[in-house]
Amino acid sequence: MRQETLRRIISFALLVILLVIFSATSDTFLTANNIMNLLRECSVVGTLAIGVTMCIITGGNDLSCGALLGLVSMVIANLYHYTAFSLELILAVGLLTALLGGLLNGICISVLKIPDFVATLSTGMIFTGLIYLFAIRNESGLITSETIRNETIASWGGSFGNGLYYSTVVFFVVAIIAQVYLKHTKSGTYLYAMGANRKSAEYSGISFVKTKITAFMISAGTAFIGALLLLGRNRAVETATGTGLEFQAISATVIGGCAFSGGRGDAIGTVIGVLFMQVLRNGILKYNFSTQTQSVISGVVIVVMLIFDAYYNEYMQKKTTKASAVAREKKAVN
Amino acid sequence: MRAKRLMAALLAALCVMGLTACSGAANADNASGDEAASADGEVQEAVGEVVEGMIATKEVTVNPYTDELKIGFIPSNATEANGTAWGEGIREELSYWPNITYNIFDGEMNADKQSQLVYDLISQDYDGIILQAYNSSILAAAVEDAEAAGIPVVTINLGADTAYAGHVAMTDYEAGYAIGNKISEALGEEGGNVVVIQATPGATRGEELESGFQASMAEHPEITILDEQTGEWNMEKANTVMQDFLTSYGDEIDAVFCHNDQMAEGAGVACQNLGYNDIIIWGANGESKALEYIEQGIITGTVYTNCYDQGATAARLLMMYLGSNIDTSTFTQTPVIKMPPITVDSSNVANIPQEDRW
Repeated sequence: MRQETLRRIISFALLVILLVIFSATSDTFLTANNIMNLLRECSVVGTLAIGVTMCIITGGNDLSCGALLGLVSMVIANLYHYTAFSLELILAVGLLTALLGGLLNGICISVLKIPDFVATLSTGMIFTGLIYLFAIRNESGLITSETIRNETIASWGGSFGNGLYYSTVVFFVVAIIAQVYLKHTKSGTYLYAMGANRKSAEYSGISFVKTKITAFMISAGTAFIGALLLLGRNRAVETATGTGLEFQAISATVIGGCAFSGGRGDAIGTVIGVLFMQVLRNGILKYNFSTQTQSVISGVVIVVMLIFDAYYNEYMQKKTTKASAVAREKKAVN
Repeated sequence: MRAKRLMAALLAALCVMGLTACSGAANADNASGDEAASADGEVQEAVGEVVEGMIATKEVTVNPYTDELKIGFIPSNATEANGTAWGEGIREELSYWPNITYNIFDGEMNADKQSQLVYDLISQDYDGIILQAYNSSILAAAVEDAEAAGIPVVTINLGADTAYAGHVAMTDYEAGYAIGNKISEALGEEGGNVVVIQATPGATRGEELESGFQASMAEHPEITILDEQTGEWNMEKANTVMQDFLTSYGDEIDAVFCHNDQMAEGAGVACQNLGYNDIIIWGANGESKALEYIEQGIITGTVYTNCYDQGATAARLLMMYLGSNIDTSTFTQTPVIKMPPITVDSSNVANIPQEDRW
């Protein structure tokens, strides 16, 4: 069995264990309403996490995705409030903002050679600053927020007749497209190659600059989609919109089997990771623990998962090295 | 049972009539855009509907005295003094109903998280929600959806930008205005210079306090606002900001207005450490530590509100709706119960008994 498949099966098994525990111990967990709501809650973080997956696969990371999501939301809200632009034009400007943000990240990392963590942490601060700059203000000049009364935007937060939210469907469609991209396109393979071994990839003619920019542009694209999903649900934007989402997205990505070192992970794993995080969050709520206890439990479970991931990586690496050594010995004997 | 329903409807009618009428000014001041423009007209319309007995009704499906009910409270921060006091006030009130399960869910100073929690409670078939919103716009959609799902929502301190069952208001605008007047009173006709340590930008409560304060300052041209910086609701951050102010302006500063007590406490300590003991410092909230600091002379005053009482009032209002046949989802205006701000300084701080301190 391939290493990646085994890792995914383990993640999935842990998710199932979590589902069984919550279903057996709470009568409000395994209800249609709760499951639909849970899936809806996955959509924003999940969509963002799909983009982050691309960056992590290249051996990098995107700490600015939450702030970029907030910035895109704020640009849309700002234009809606202050201009008479059509919604299509406003969305186009929102998408352009996202792509420019992604391009900035990509250039900082690939052309200016700034490490991913530092680059995206810094650009995240720029995006946060821009959020305040674009924030809606009242007559006294104070930052305020306003409900967006637009039927089209409100409809994005709606659901099908059976209670399945549109945002859930969008999340899964994005995940499927990302999985196909990663596994069945040349460009997707380049991301893995760059993350697994940058030097080898470059010797093979894969451009570091193009690959990194592609990954961060995709991450920016998912931040744009996430912003639309969030707007559909809340119909308003505040200066804190998007804050902290990057950490949820990164945690979910790693829980889903993405290696920080790069070269491993996929969209299906990330979906499992996102579901794991949301099931944990949603399930814990049913026990009426205090906030502190909830935080401790969530934190401990995530840390345990990450420790497991680290040990698993080490174990598989040793196993692979041992198998290679045995193969070499056999070859030498023959 | 019929008499009980009638009583409940009557209470609701009185509540809507009295409370919307007295909330008109605040709504007009605080609401934005079109809503503000039409606030007065809508209030009159809502009152008219009540008087004519046109409140939409629904079938009563629960008996609040015997049925198992679930009520959730979502404060913006469950671990801070206000959140804890509101939560305790609600718990105390609901303890009279042994059939009620009451749970608190922390919004963690995040409006989006609060929105998610509202949807969680909707999906878990909660019977009523008490909410202290972190951002009134962000929470509007979730509150609308809760009401549409037949779950009455009562808010405390900061509500949502939509119509729903009821709001117990802490009157932040008025509090900011009162503090402005207190500072101008202390500075006298000569006036002076003020610095402001603000809430996190975009936080609705900070915005309302600031608007009220600015309105008061507009009436006192002898007072100059030297500088305004955010302390992000945080004592340590406010301490640093105050030190920066003192380094930049020194003796020019006569008074400080902080958007909450924690920041006032931080500013007070900074002034003491740097030897500026005559600066007037006002906070807002009325938490017990601030009252102690007033007694010790570290800060000048605060606006006190009895959070236990606010929580209990919200719980009573919610229970009234749960026992009535009033369909709160059809409200066109939110009934508001106003808790007037009480300015507290060294002259009256001793009047607040220990049991009312939080």
